Amino acid sequence: MKISAFLTSAVAALAMAGGSALAEPVKIGFNVPLTGFAAADGKSALNGAELAVEQANAAGGINGDRIELVIYDDQASPKESVPIAQKLVEKDQVVLAISGSYSGATRAAAGIFQESGVPYISAYAVHPDITRAGDYVFRTSFVGQVQGRAGAKLIGGTLGKKKVALITLKNDFGKSLAAGFREAAGKYGIEVVAEYEYGIKDRQFGPIVSKVKSDKPDAIYASGYFFTAGPLVSQLRAGGIKVPVIGQEGYDSQKFIEIAGTAAEGTIITTSLDRDSPAAETKAFIAAFEKKAGHKADMVAASAHTAVKVAVAALKAAGSSDRSAIRDAIAKAKVEASTGTISFNGLGEVRKDVQVQVVKDGNWHHHSVISDAALLAPPEK
Amino acid sequence: MLYLELFIQGIVQGSIYALIALGLTLVYGLLRILHVAHAALFTLGGYLGVIVTNATGSLAFAVVVAMVVVGLAGMGLYKLAYEPLLDRPPYIALIASIGLFIASEEIFRLIFGPYGLSYAEAPLQGQFELFAGFFLKHGEALAIVLSVVLLSGLAWLSTRTRTGIAWRATVSDPEMAEAFGVDIQKVRYLNFFIGSALAAAAGVLVALLNNLVEPTMGSVPSYKALAIIVLGGLGSIRGTLLAAMALGVIEAFGTIYLGHLLDRDAIAFAFLILVLMLRPQGLLGKAS
Amino acid sequence: MAYEITLLTTMAISVLFALSLNFITGFCGQISLGHAAFLGTGAYTGAMLAKAGVPFLLTLPAAAAMAATLGVLVGLASLRVRHDFLAITTMGVGFLFLGLVRQQDFLGGELGIAGIPATGLGKIGFMALCIALAAAFVAFSLYVRRTWMGYVFESIADNEDVSRVLGIDVARYKLAAFIIGTAVAGVSGALYAHHFRFIGPDSFGFVESISVLAMVIVGGIGSVWGVAAAAAVLSVLPLWFQVIDDYKLLLYSALLFGMMRFAPDGVAGLLRNLLRRRKAVTP
Repeated sequence: MKISAFLTSAVAALAMAGGSALAEPVKIGFNVPLTGFAAADGKSALNGAELAVEQANAAGGINGDRIELVIYDDQASPKESVPIAQKLVEKDQVVLAISGSYSGATRAAAGIFQESGVPYISAYAVHPDITRAGDYVFRTSFVGQVQGRAGAKLIGGTLGKKKVALITLKNDFGKSLAAGFREAAGKYGIEVVAEYEYGIKDRQFGPIVSKVKSDKPDAIYASGYFFTAGPLVSQLRAGGIKVPVIGQEGYDSQKFIEIAGTAAEGTIITTSLDRDSPAAETKAFIAAFEKKAGHKADMVAASAHTAVKVAVAALKAAGSSDRSAIRDAIAKAKVEASTGTISFNGLGEVRKDVQVQVVKDGNWHHHSVISDAALLAPPEK
Repeated sequence: MLYLELFIQGIVQGSIYALIALGLTLVYGLLRILHVAHAALFTLGGYLGVIVTNATGSLAFAVVVAMVVVGLAGMGLYKLAYEPLLDRPPYIALIASIGLFIASEEIFRLIFGPYGLSYAEAPLQGQFELFAGFFLKHGEALAIVLSVVLLSGLAWLSTRTRTGIAWRATVSDPEMAEAFGVDIQKVRYLNFFIGSALAAAAGVLVALLNNLVEPTMGSVPSYKALAIIVLGGLGSIRGTLLAAMALGVIEAFGTIYLGHLLDRDAIAFAFLILVLMLRPQGLLGKAS
Repeated sequence: MAYEITLLTTMAISVLFALSLNFITGFCGQISLGHAAFLGTGAYTGAMLAKAGVPFLLTLPAAAAMAATLGVLVGLASLRVRHDFLAITTMGVGFLFLGLVRQQDFLGGELGIAGIPATGLGKIGFMALCIALAAAFVAFSLYVRRTWMGYVFESIADNEDVSRVLGIDVARYKLAAFIIGTAVAGVSGALYAHHFRFIGPDSFGFVESISVLAMVIVGGIGSVWGVAAAAAVLSVLPLWFQVIDDYKLLLYSALLFGMMRFAPDGVAGLLRNLLRRRKAVTP
C-alpha cells in the first residue's frame, strides 16, 4: 500500500514536472507563397517568421509552451489561401494565424478567419479591405493608401518636385498606393502629368519609357515589386530619364539593387525597415536575419518577424488559448519590433512612422522619416 | 518622334518574339505538335547566358554555349517526350508538353532559387544616340542584329544547302521525302536543334535587356508564341515572322493607348481572334 | 468533420466542372483551352447577384444562362476554326475574358469580389446540393451517350467532314454541346463563388483551364466515370501534397506528363486494358 501510494505520487510529480514538455505546442498558422511568382518574397517572409519563432522559443516560448509554426504554401493566390485558411481553422485548429503573403491571398483568407473567430495578422499585405473583414483581423504594415499619401508628402514636400508621372502596377498593391498618392497630391502642390499601368508579368517597359520621356515629369512615382521595379528602373535610366524615381516597400530588397545595377543609385522608397536605424531591435534583427538566411534583410522578412513578435506578445498576455482573449490582447498590444513600435487602432491598423530609404553605393540607407500623424492616420473603418 | 520610338520598341520586341516563335513553327510544321515546352528551352537559354557570362566574362561565348547546349537539349526533348507520342492524337502531346513546361519551371526554381539571377556586370548597357534625343540601348541593337543574322542564316540554310532542302521536303511531304532517301530522323533532330537554339538566343537577349532571369520567365512567351504561330498560319515561316513583328508593334502602341481597356496579353489574343474570324487559316497560312 | 465537408464540397464542384468540359471536349471532340472563362462567368454572375440580394438558388440558373451566352459565341467560333486553331482560339477567349474583367471596376477589377454571402443552406446542406448536382450531371452524361445526340457527338468527334457528308447538321450539334457544357460550367462557377466566398481574376486563368483539361484527359477523354474520378482526386491532391509542399507542383506536372507518356487513354483506358487482359486470360 505504501509503496503504491509512493509510486503514484512519484509518477504524478514527474508528470507535473515534465508537464510543459509533454504539453501540446502552441500552433500559429502561417500562409506564405513558397512557389509561384511571389516565391522570392515568400522565402524571405518565412525566414523572418521562423527566426522570430526560434527566438521566442529560446526565450521560453509561451509561458513554457513551445511555439510551432504551421506553414502552408498559398502561391500568393486566393484560390489556394482559402482552402488553406479552412484547413488551419478546422484541421490544425490554430489559435492564431499570420499572413506572410500578398494582398489577394490575405484578403480571401481573412474572411474565413474572421468568420471562424481566429485572430489573423497580416504581415505586409496592403489592401484596405483586409482589416475591414472584421475585428479579428490586424495588420502590422501600412495600408496602401497611407503609404501612397506619404509618397506624396515625400515628393511634393521633402523633395519639392511638382510634376509627377505615375507608373502603377495593375494589382491591389499598386492601385491602392496610386489612390493614396492622388488623394494627397493636391495638398503638396503635385500635378499628376500622366499615369501608366503595367501587369505583374511585364518586364519590358520600352513603350512606357518612351512615352514618359515625352511627358517630361520632375519625378516618377512607380509601384511594383523588386522583379518589376528592377527592370523598370534600369530601363528608365537606360532610356535617358534622369529625374528621381520614388518607389515603395515592394522594391525593398537587395535583389532590386542587383537587378538594376548602377541604375538603382538614387532610387528612393517609402518602407518600414531602416537599415541605418540606431534602434537596438532593428540592429539585432538585421544581424540575426543575415546570419540565418545568408542574405541581407528586407521589408517582408522584417514585417513577418514583427507580426510573429506581436502574436507571441499577445499570446503571452492572454495566458490561454481562448481566441477572443487573444484577439483582445492583440488589440491592446504595444510591441517594439524591427519595423517600429507596433500598436493598433480600432480597425486593427497599425500606427507608426514611414521610413524613407535611398540607394547609395549599392545599398539601402536612411534618407528621412515621415512622421506626420494626421497624414499617416490609418482608416478607422 | 514618339511614334517612331514606339515603332522601334515594337521591332525589338518583335525580333525576340520571332526567334521564339520560329522554333515553335518549325516543330509544328514537321510534327503537328504544339510544343509548349519550347518556352522551357527559352528559359534555359536565359539562365545559361547569365551563368556562362558571369563565369567567363564573355557574352559572345555565352551566346554560343547557350545555343549549342539548348539545341542539344531540344533534341533530347524530342527523343524522350515527343517521339513516343507521334501516333497519338495531338492533344496528348499538347498536355504532355504543358506538363513538361510546368515541371521545368519548378526545376529551375528548385535548382536556382526563386529570386532569379542577374549578370554580375551587365554587358551592353550603354546606348547610342541614333538621332536627337532617341537612344537605342546596345542590347536592343544586338537584339535586332542577332535576329536578322540568325534568320538570314536559317533562310540560307533552307534554300541553299542539301540539308535544308531535304528538310523542306520533309515538311512538305514526309513520305515522298523518305522515298527519295531523306533520313527523316535526322531532319527531325535538326529541326529541334535549330528551333531550340533560336529560343536560347532569345533567352539570352531577354536576360540582357532585363538583367534578370527567373524560373517563370517562360510563362508569357509560352502562350504568346502559340498565338503568334497561329496568327501567322500554322507552319508558315514567313507568316510567323510577319505575325511576330506585327504583334511586337501592336503591343508597343497598344500598351500606351489601349492600356485602360485591355491588358497586354489580352491585346495579343484580341488581335488573334479578330484575324482568325476573318481569315481562319491565319495571315499567311494555306486555306485547307 | 468540418474539414472533410469542405473537401467533399470542393470535390463535387470540380467533378461538375470537369464533366462539363468532358461534354464539349470528350463527347463532341471540340478541344477547349479556355474553359475557365465559363467557370468565371458563372462565378461572377453568381457573386454579383448574391451581393445584390438575390437568393442563392436563383443565382444558379442566372449563372448558367450567362455562361451559355458566352458559350454560344465560342461555339459559333468553333464553326469557323478547327482543331489546333480552335484550341488556340479558346485559349484566346480565356485571356480576353480575364483581360476585360480585370479592367472593369464594377466586377471588382484586379481586386475581385469579397464577402460573398453565405448560401443559407448551412455547410452540410450546401455540400449535399453540390453532390446532388454533380451526380445529376453524371447521370445526364451517361444518358446522353446512349441517345441519338450522343451518337452524333461521337461521329463529329471522330470525323467532322464525314458526318457532314452523311447529312448531319454538324453546326447545330456543336452549338448544342457548347451550350450545355458551358451552362453547366456556369453553374459550377456560381457554386464555386459561394464555396470560397471570394473570387478574383486569378482564379480563372490559363492554369485553371489547363487543370480542368488535365482532369478530363487523365480520367480518359469521353469517359464519364473516369473524368469524375480524376476530377475528385486531382482537385484535392494539392491539399494532401501540402506535406511535400516545395515539390508539389513538380510532382503534379510530372504526374501529368507521365500519364500522357505512358497511359494516354487515362485511368479509364488503364482499367479497360486491365479488364481486357483478364478476360483474355480466362479460358
